[in-house]
Amino acid sequence: MRRALAIARYVLRAAARGLRASAASAAIAVIAMALALLLAGAFGIAIGNMAGVVERVGDRLTLSAYLTPEVDEAARTALAARAARIEGVQDVEAVSPEMALARFPERTGVSAAPVELVGENPLPASLEVRLRAGDRSPEQAERVRLALEGLPGVAEVSAGEDWVPGYTRALDFVRGAGLAIGLVLAVATLVIVASTIRLAYAARRDELRILALMGASRTTMRLPFLLEGLAQGACAGVLALLLLRLLFVLARPAVEASLAFLADSAAVRFFSPAEAVALVAGGALLGLLGAALSLAADRRA
Amino acid sequence: MAFGAATPTPAREPLVALRHVSKSYRAGTYALRDVSFEVGKGELVFLTGASGAGKTTLLRMLFAGERPSTGEVRVLGHDVARLRRRTIPALRRRVGVVFQDFELLPRMNVEENVRLALDVRGVPGREARARVFSALKQVGLHQWRHQDPRSLSGGEQQRVAIARALVGEPSLLLADEPTGNLDPALTIEIMDLIASVAARGTAVIVATHDLALVGRHGRRTLRLDAGRLAGDAALERVSV
Repeated sequence: MRRALAIARYVLRAAARGLRASAASAAIAVIAMALALLLAGAFGIAIGNMAGVVERVGDRLTLSAYLTPEVDEAARTALAARAARIEGVQDVEAVSPEMALARFPERTGVSAAPVELVGENPLPASLEVRLRAGDRSPEQAERVRLALEGLPGVAEVSAGEDWVPGYTRALDFVRGAGLAIGLVLAVATLVIVASTIRLAYAARRDELRILALMGASRTTMRLPFLLEGLAQGACAGVLALLLLRLLFVLARPAVEASLAFLADSAAVRFFSPAEAVALVAGGALLGLLGAALSLAADRRA
Repeated sequence: MAFGAATPTPAREPLVALRHVSKSYRAGTYALRDVSFEVGKGELVFLTGASGAGKTTLLRMLFAGERPSTGEVRVLGHDVARLRRRTIPALRRRVGVVFQDFELLPRMNVEENVRLALDVRGVPGREARARVFSALKQVGLHQWRHQDPRSLSGGEQQRVAIARALVGEPSLLLADEPTGNLDPALTIEIMDLIASVAARGTAVIVATHDLALVGRHGRRTLRLDAGRLAGDAALERVSV
């Protein structure tokens, strides 16, 4: 145990000495990695907010089951309870003809005056059915539509075919683009770390040869380089996070102003604490992987 | 100076034993050919021969830097040809090596250079500091322990290298032309230091082409000629 601790202390000292010895190249690597992580983080924030907007839009989109005139209020409430038990349904709102009339101008953008002129409310009662966030696929919407049509008293179901595929495509695109950009930037970060560690390794080849002659194990010789990669990645993560926060604070008013048309979607959010930690941890992990790749490429390391 | 008739066989269990060892890097050419000898505890052995005679190849085999093409090399009980890559460090931690060009690391001070040998052995901090101080005191450089090794003379740098080789208390010390870069006065000083290591029980093998140096000590001498062991005897002690 004492021996392992002593070797661990040596490894830490060697990593710190290595970073000091190649401070300029390490600093350049940290800045380059921070820029890559900054871009990845910026896309992460943008995609997170876009996904949030799309999710919130999805929350407002419903399937409408129009009821026959014979369905009274008690039956409507009972039907709503049955509809809520359908697989994939998040919640159901029973809408009376009066409520439908009141919402008419908001939903259609058309004044209710002509309807009121008729003197009789022509709008039917309905059930407004919201799908669960994970179940907003065209297939699930169709399954729910069929289930709703099977309920007694349901005259017609508007399944929202016009919005479900578009919504799904938008969400898939946002997530796919985020993943692709994240992968490209992760590879860029790996290459940066691997190149820096390779340079550091070449600069310390004499030291490693002497260490090997003195009986240093392969692990003892490699660990300082892995730690250097880890430290560089973590520093880059912290730097990227600080820069992102600064840019976010500066850009937020303009972004929110430009999204104001989305009403309640206009509140732009930064990373949660867990996401911020994940960015730094991700940087550290990429640094470690880059260093490991660099050492693996040199079989003598 | 001439080779005498001393019996070279060590009286105790050999720490180093070579039996019919050959090393060939290319078919038909040999760096070493059918070399056999043994070295026991506390022996000081000189390995002489012209440049290219095979001295460095032989030393490299003794710290498992090379494997023999044929024959057997046993060092501290290990068969070098059969050592696995991951077990080589354990052998090397029992062998000290000193080079002609000192091989000190410029980014570390004298103390850190010597301590490196204990760091790789996992010797804890306080014990390591005490042993480094003791090793540097042994070579008379404890007062320079915080110096950059580049600020020291060649002889002082070689003494630091010897301290680094000795601080791990090796059973075997290998020195490859340890005085090759030193003036005559420093050569005598360094060789006396190495000889004192053997006197304390460590087996020491010194590769050199300086026959005057060998003659001054009058110890067992292995003479290599084109990879073959051409002589194994004690040189008569001469005054230099």
